Amino acid sequence: MYTILAANVFTKILDDFGVTAPLFIAQVINFIIVLFVLKKFAFGPIQAMLEQRQNRIAEGEEKLKRIETQLAESEERSSAAIEEANTTAKRLIDEAKDSAAALSEQKTQEAIASAQGILQKAEQSAKAERSQMVAELKQEFGRLVAATTANVTGKVLTDDDNKRINDEAVASIEG
Amino acid sequence: MNKIFTTASLFIALSGLASAAHQLTPESNVIFGDRDGFAITNSMIMVWMATGIIVLFCRAATKKMTMVPVGFQNFAEWLIESLYNFFGGILGDHLVKRTFWFFGGTMLLILITNWLGLIPGVGTLGVMGDDDKVTYLLRGGNADVNVTAAMSIVFAVLWFYWAVSENGVKGFFAHIFAPKGDFSGVMRVGMVAIFFVVGLLEFVSIFIRPVALSFRLYGNVFGGEQVLETLMAMGGPYFAFLPALPFMFMELLVGLLQALVFTILSAVFLKLICEHSDHGEDGAH
Repeated sequence: MYTILAANVFTKILDDFGVTAPLFIAQVINFIIVLFVLKKFAFGPIQAMLEQRQNRIAEGEEKLKRIETQLAESEERSSAAIEEANTTAKRLIDEAKDSAAALSEQKTQEAIASAQGILQKAEQSAKAERSQMVAELKQEFGRLVAATTANVTGKVLTDDDNKRINDEAVASIEG
Repeated sequence: MNKIFTTASLFIALSGLASAAHQLTPESNVIFGDRDGFAITNSMIMVWMATGIIVLFCRAATKKMTMVPVGFQNFAEWLIESLYNFFGGILGDHLVKRTFWFFGGTMLLILITNWLGLIPGVGTLGVMGDDDKVTYLLRGGNADVNVTAAMSIVFAVLWFYWAVSENGVKGFFAHIFAPKGDFSGVMRVGMVAIFFVVGLLEFVSIFIRPVALSFRLYGNVFGGEQVLETLMAMGGPYFAFLPALPFMFMELLVGLLQALVFTILSAVFLKLICEHSDHGEDGAH
């Protein structure tokens, strides 16, 4: 009985509000079509664009992160390279300094040796020249003494006389 | 339809004149066809108009889409994105991605239909029949229970589909009937019994929801139209607009609020049944 009563009340409500099965079904179909049309032609393109933009922003952020990481790595690498270059340069400068000092020392020694050689040669040469000059002077002095003696005495001097006078003259000079 | 137009004279009346003698009836008017068969009603025409406006607006906004939005596209994107974020706040990222087409579409449809109902001529422009009954050519879309009930039923079906697809059949029933909390022994038996009864009540409430949703929306919109008509009748033939004017602004607000209420409640109903699975996913992430 309650079921029948409830059904009657329900039917009356539907009648009062103008609800009929065909109209209701038509509205359901209508609403489904409307939702489909809105999804396809209204929200679809806009949502696709929003999603595309969101993806691009996400990609941009991803790229930015990657670039930041790469930059950090690059900075690390470059600072390591600079450090290495500095070390190498310092080592090279030290080596160059050492090398330059060694070369300079070597050249100095060589110059000293060369100068000493030159000096020695000069001394020897001077000595030889002096000896030659002394010999020549002695010879000239002996000849002059012998000539003077011959002129003074008026005597023709023999070779033995000449030799003796020369020897005496030289001995007197050396004595 | 033919019968109506052949036996009726065209009746164009400003609201005050019409409403004084011809109050809006709770049911919609058939413009074409037969109420018990294939029919096009004045409320259907309003829903189509609202759909057309939304689609035209979106098509215009998306005609020349650019990656950097300007003008119309900017506004449309702001609107859709705001709606998406709004429902996202209720439903969560996963659910809103699946269901936004429904909530966004329904929200805009209800809103535009409600506001279209305030345009002069809607509910006042009609043809008078032999029986002195006026067949209004246009009627607020949501001032027809068939429309609001159709929305509610479609939501109820989708709600069930989404709930089962998110929880599984077992999870769906467990969500309704299974005891919440960790109990053991006699306490557990007691809780199982209590939650079974609670589940039965929940089950009844699930069936009542579409009815409540549809009648809430219908009642507010139809009631608003009745208020406007009554107030216009008070203004007499020349000043009919005056008493109703402040209420037009209120109806604008009511139109927005009812669109929000319908869709927010729907979203909350969906969130409540899918809450566990969402937690599970969050945990999984």
